[in-house]
Formats: sequence, C-alpha cells, structure tokens
Amino acid sequence: MTPTAPEMLTGASADFLRRFAPFDRMEAPALAFLAEHLQLVFHPSGAEILTPEMGAPTHFYIIQRGKVLARQTGSTSVMEYSTIPLGPGECFPIGAISAQRASTNAYVVVEDSFVYQLAAEDFRRLLEMSPIFHLFCTQYIASLLNQSRRQLQTAFSQRAAEQQTMTTSLGKLIKREPVFVTPEASTREALEKMAEKRVGCMVILDDEHRPLGVLTQSDLLPRIVLPGLDLSQSVVDVMTPGPHTMSVNASAYDAVLEMATHGVRHLMVVDTHGRLKGVVSERDLFSLQRTSLRQIRASIEGAGDIEALQRASRDIRELALNLVAQGVGAEQLTQFISALNDALTRRIIDIELDRHGLHDAQYAWLAFGSEGRHEQTLSTDQDNGLIYVCPDPARKDPLKLQLLAFAKDVNESLAACGFPLCKGNIMASNPELCLTFDEWKRRFAAWISEPDPQALLNASIFFDFRVLSGDERLGESLRTWLNATAKRNATFQRLMAMNALQVAPPLGLIRDFVLDDDGTIDLKKAGARLFVDVARILALRAEVSSSSTVQRLRQAGTKMGMATEELAAMTDGFHFIQLLRLRSQHLDTEHDSAGDNKVRPDQLNELDRRILKEAFRQARKLQLRLKLDYQI
Amino acid sequence: MSWLGRLLSTRADAASLDTALRETLAHWQSLPPADLARTHHETRYVVLNTEATGLNIDKDRPLAVGAIAIDSGVLAARESLYVRLQPDAPTALADVLAFAGRAPIVVYSASLNRTLIERALAEQLGIAPDWTWIDLYWLLPRLFPERIGRPARLADWMQSFGIETFQRHHAFGDAYAIAQLLLALQARALRRGFATPQSLAELEQRVLRSPAAR
Repeated sequence: MTPTAPEMLTGASADFLRRFAPFDRMEAPALAFLAEHLQLVFHPSGAEILTPEMGAPTHFYIIQRGKVLARQTGSTSVMEYSTIPLGPGECFPIGAISAQRASTNAYVVVEDSFVYQLAAEDFRRLLEMSPIFHLFCTQYIASLLNQSRRQLQTAFSQRAAEQQTMTTSLGKLIKREPVFVTPEASTREALEKMAEKRVGCMVILDDEHRPLGVLTQSDLLPRIVLPGLDLSQSVVDVMTPGPHTMSVNASAYDAVLEMATHGVRHLMVVDTHGRLKGVVSERDLFSLQRTSLRQIRASIEGAGDIEALQRASRDIRELALNLVAQGVGAEQLTQFISALNDALTRRIIDIELDRHGLHDAQYAWLAFGSEGRHEQTLSTDQDNGLIYVCPDPARKDPLKLQLLAFAKDVNESLAACGFPLCKGNIMASNPELCLTFDEWKRRFAAWISEPDPQALLNASIFFDFRVLSGDERLGESLRTWLNATAKRNATFQRLMAMNALQVAPPLGLIRDFVLDDDGTIDLKKAGARLFVDVARILALRAEVSSSSTVQRLRQAGTKMGMATEELAAMTDGFHFIQLLRLRSQHLDTEHDSAGDNKVRPDQLNELDRRILKEAFRQARKLQLRLKLDYQI
Repeated sequence: MSWLGRLLSTRADAASLDTALRETLAHWQSLPPADLARTHHETRYVVLNTEATGLNIDKDRPLAVGAIAIDSGVLAARESLYVRLQPDAPTALADVLAFAGRAPIVVYSASLNRTLIERALAEQLGIAPDWTWIDLYWLLPRLFPERIGRPARLADWMQSFGIETFQRHHAFGDAYAIAQLLLALQARALRRGFATPQSLAELEQRVLRSPAAR
C-alpha cells in the first residue's frame, strides 16, 4: 500500500532528524511520535523565536535549516559564553521547557530559518516515552550543573584568595583578646598568667593600655632561669621595652616585613591611640599558608588534649573552604569533612576511654543522622549513641553507668570542638541511647512493627547509623538484621514512603520556587532531605548496607534497574544542594551566624537558580518513583 | 472563457454521482467563503500540486494531486493529502475538494496546475470552485528579487532556499517543497506589507500586468 500523505511528511521529518543526535539513536516509536507531532515554521532573519519575556515556552524547537543565535539576556553573564550559534539539528530550549519556566536566553534568527516546533505537552510526552531523549536532556542539564560547579569554584577561589592574601589587615588576624599585665606585676605573676593562658608572649601595658614591653618564652632561659632571677622582681626588669607596634590597618605583608627586618616573632597591634588590640605572632602569619589535610590529620592524632583538638577543628573548617576553592565537589568535600571529623571524634573517644579506664569494653560508638550518612556540613549537631555487649548480667548496670559517664565527657568534648550538643538529646550519654545489641534490636523492631509518626521520625534518624569507633561488627550485624526485618515489613516501608513524600520539592507552577514566608528556601528540609528520605527507603528495600545517601541511591538504584545516567542526574542534584548548603555555611561563618541552610533564590545568580530548580526536579522524580512503587 | 469569471455551477451529470460524493459536494457548497482580508497567521492556505501524464495542457490529465495546508503559518504533517486519480477519479477529487475547502489555493505555475485541476473537477464532479488562486511562480521573484529576479524553475527556488523534499517530480513531493516556499514567502510578504491572501492575489495581478510578465 502506498503511504498516505501524512506518513510521507512524517517520514521526511524522521529522515531529517535521524541525521542528528540524539534523534539518530532515538527509539523508533518515539521518533515516529516526534516526527508526527512536529510542525514546520519559517522564521525570517532578525525574528525572535523565544525570549525570556515570552514566559514559559509553548514549544520546543529543532532547527531544520538556517541559523539561530542563543543570546544571554540580562546584565550578568552566567554562562561561559554570551552567544551560541545554533544550526540544523540543534534544539532549544531544554532547561526552560523541562522546568516550564521562562527561558533565560533569547533565541534570535540570524539567517532565514525553517524551524520545527513541538508543543510543550508533546515535548513532555516525548520525555516520558523516550529514555534516549530523556537522557539527552538530563545530560544537557548535567552539563549545566558542571558549569555551575566551576563557577562556584571560581567564587570560592576568590574568597579563599581574599582570606589568604597578604593584604589582609592585622585587625582581622587577631584571634584573641591580648593577654597582659600592668607594670606593677611581679615576674612570677606574669609567668603564671602566661602558663594559665597558654600564650608565648606577655605584654606589659600602661594605664592607657599602651604597650610598654613584652616578655616572650624565648626570654625565659637567658633572662630568668639562667641568671636565677628572683621571681618577685618587677616584670618591668625582665621585659623587652619598646615592643614593635603596628596599626590594626597594616597588612599581613607589612607585618611579615617588620618581623623579618627586626628579627622579632611578635608584633603589638594597636589602634590609632596606640592602645593594644592584640598580638600577632609569626605563627599567625604562617597559618595564612594553608594547613594541609595531612597536617590536620597528624595534629588530630597527636593531640593530647581538647585544646589541640579545638585548633584542629578550626583547621578542618578552613580546609573545607580551601578544598572547595581547589575545585573539590560536594561529594568529596563532605567525605573529607566526614573523615576529619571522624578522626577528631575517634581521638576524643580514645582520650576519654583512657580516662575512664574502658579499654576492655566491647562497644561501638554510633553516629546517626547526617554524620551517619557521611553528609556532615559545617553546622551539624551531634547525633550519637552506643552499642555495648555485656555477657554477665550482674555487670550490666555498673558497665552502663561507666559508659554513660564516658559518653557524657565525649559529648562535652565534641561540643567544645564545635559540634553542638544535640537539642533533642540524641547523644550517647542519654541512657535511652546507650543500649546493648539486643536492646537496639528490640527498639528498632518496635518502630518497624508499630510505625507511628514518632517511630517513623526515629527511623529517619537512627536507621542512618554507622560505627564510628569500637567494634564494627556490632554495626554490621545490626544493619544486616535491620535490612532483613524492614524488607519483610511492607506496611512499614509504605508508611516510611508516605512520610518521605510529605514535603514536596519547593517548585511552583506559576513562579519558579515556592518560598517560605521569609522569602527563603530551607535547603535541608525542602532540599537535601527529600533525597535522603527516598534513598533510605530504597536502601532498606534493596538491602544496601551503606548509610550514605549517594551510595544508597547508586547501589539500590542499580539493583532496581534505574539507568546509570538517571541516577547520576539525581546524585548530581543532591550534590548541588549540598554544595549550596556548604557555601552558605562558609560564607555565613564570617558574620558568625551558623549556617542555617536557608537560601534566597533571588540572591542566587541565574545559573545557580536554574540548577537548583533542576535539582529539585530530580528530587521530584525520586519522589515520583516512590509514589509509583508504593502506589501512594 | 475567463477563469475568474466562473461561478459555482453544477452540471446535470452530478446527479449520477453516488450519495457520498454528493454529500461532499453539498458540504463544500455550504462552506462560507474564506475571509481573504485576514492575515497569513489567521489564514489556512492550501498548496495543490499535480502530477500529469505529460506537459501538454490541452491533452493531459492529472494522475495525482498532492495537497498540504499551511494553517496560521504552520505546516503540520496531518494536514496533508495525496490522491491518485486512478481508478476512482471522482472520489479522489472529492477528497481534494473536502481537504481544500474554500481556502485560498497556492500553486507553483497555475497555467499548468490550475488548468489541470479545474478541468478535472469540472469533468469528474461537474463543479467549478470559486477558489482564490495564488501562484508562487510569479510571486517568488517579486518578493525575493535578491535571490532570483525572474520567474524560475521550482528546482532553482528550492536550491536558493536550501529546501529539500523526499521525492522530486512527484505531486506530493513537490507540494512539500512548494509549501516550504510558501512559509518563507508569507514571512517576507508580511514584512513588505502584503499581510493577507487578498493582498497576495492583488500583488500577483500587478506582476502579471507588468511588462516583464508579458
């Protein structure tokens, strides 16, 4: 039978499309659908096919013949290009039509062009119908993600450069209130204060807070110890008078020069009235040179007390900033942070185990929540617990008391190192969370068999456990048991799924984003958690042992037959949200407000906004998957 | 006999057509005439193209007719028709009539296509539609003088615009090329102030009356 006219035209369009990616690989029924629904339109040179002002695009366009220029609009260039010429076989817009929002580019015809157009709803049907086309669009979006990440890195390098630069003013380098005595003080008083405050440099100030002299550690031997000085003598007799002073406004570079010129290790930083504001040491200036991962690691492992660990904790934050500047992505970054925080916590645990004489105890220190998932950002509360084994029932209570005391000290040391105590008391020092293996099993089993809202909330925190210190086998057995138990219980899974679907991605139908009342989006509650919650359920179902969201998605997703590319787009989306969280936390530490995970979309640049929207769309896809799986 | 002066008429032998065909004709006759004062973007044009037994207008008969609608400046695959006149010419032509409705008809070279189509309609269906005919053969050089400044072959225009078709010298294959030319022509005409089918038809008349056309 001869083909009908529509079949011939459709065939002609299909033949044309087959010359270009991704249509050359497209599934036959999808290609047929596309060719059948395409409309051919002519746009003369100079015409605007699509501009941001036109709102959400009504069509997806494929150029048949001619040339169209994609031009960025607005004052700031958010991409690496400002214009891209598009020719036959190329299509636009992908992001805008997927997200149903206005295009950020203007598409202007530069040579008379025949352009195929596909109605927006047919575009969406095609996305559903064709995995190949879907992949093409996701990869395009992923390339945007990459661009955004590079841009983020540039911002961070600038920021890091700013911090590291030798033009930093001395006022900003002062780390603590100056430690000083008045001229009336005895040498003994001065030395005792140095010891107490752990400083290497004591300043002697006059009544108006102007430096009269300094006494440093290196003066001790020649001036005090060897001459056998009477410690009751005035400090003025042993100090170095007329210390080197510099203005708070002088730069780090000036200070280095001053130190090098005069061979001194400390500089008095003074205000315009000559009053002491602080002391800058040679070490402070050298610490402008970055601390390396290895150094931090070594300093953690060699730390003998909390103060050394506190310094290490500060170094971890600085390093994190630096790593982003070096182009490390969110995944590796959180792994680094996690590794260092783990090392720090282990060191604290070791110190406290020693102090509490618990070396023989068979136990495992568990991390829950984001720490359990290896997804700590920089403002994460503590979430921890203990599993212990006690074969002798008579010794159980005393052992538990001992462990609780130990845990309390660990919790407090962690707090001193910048991990705030958990407001909800999810800490190992809570008797409810310091349990034997069987007690944990009973606890988990109760949540699974009677999944009331509180149980589900608990599951979302505790099921992300991981052994941080102690006997790892305890954690492994608990995980194996938990996966097997949860997998059997469909009701529990379903309720977990319903719970996970309670918060929808903050994507609006009319506007780009749905904002909280204060004009922000909570990247934790309405962002990262959407991925985390779905990943947890998939992991339970697929019996994946990892507690990390990305690993869970990858492993469970693969087991459940999700396409690698699809999974990659989802994990990219998750990483992007994590990166934005880290960024807001880093920048926030400057003004001393802890990162609160809030982002104002209107303050993001255009590209970040686009990517964020795509990331939320990935969350929506994950949720959709869950909805379908559990028919919710 | 003046083509333009023809009015709708039915011949006695229309009565011999079968019921379905008579209904098609009756329906066609009941259609309101196209509003030729609307812009291209509010108009449905229909491109018609024939494939004939030869090039002798007096003797030849159409073998097939290709039709593509350009509705509101859009070419959509489903808005197309291809019919062969063998073995059932009346039904094939009735299909063309139903597809075209009373839309302005666009052809490339009316002297051939219009003659063949009108003759076939008169002979087979006894109908003489009062279509507005628009001939790209004359209009293209008038509106795209920078490309080709005189009436030219379809192949030349296709080459100038880089237009391709799936089969040349085929009623429908060429109709597809002509339809694409119409898309380009509409855009250019709009910019030159010829925004309606009426203004295109008048422009064509001006071209035909100009010394160059004689």
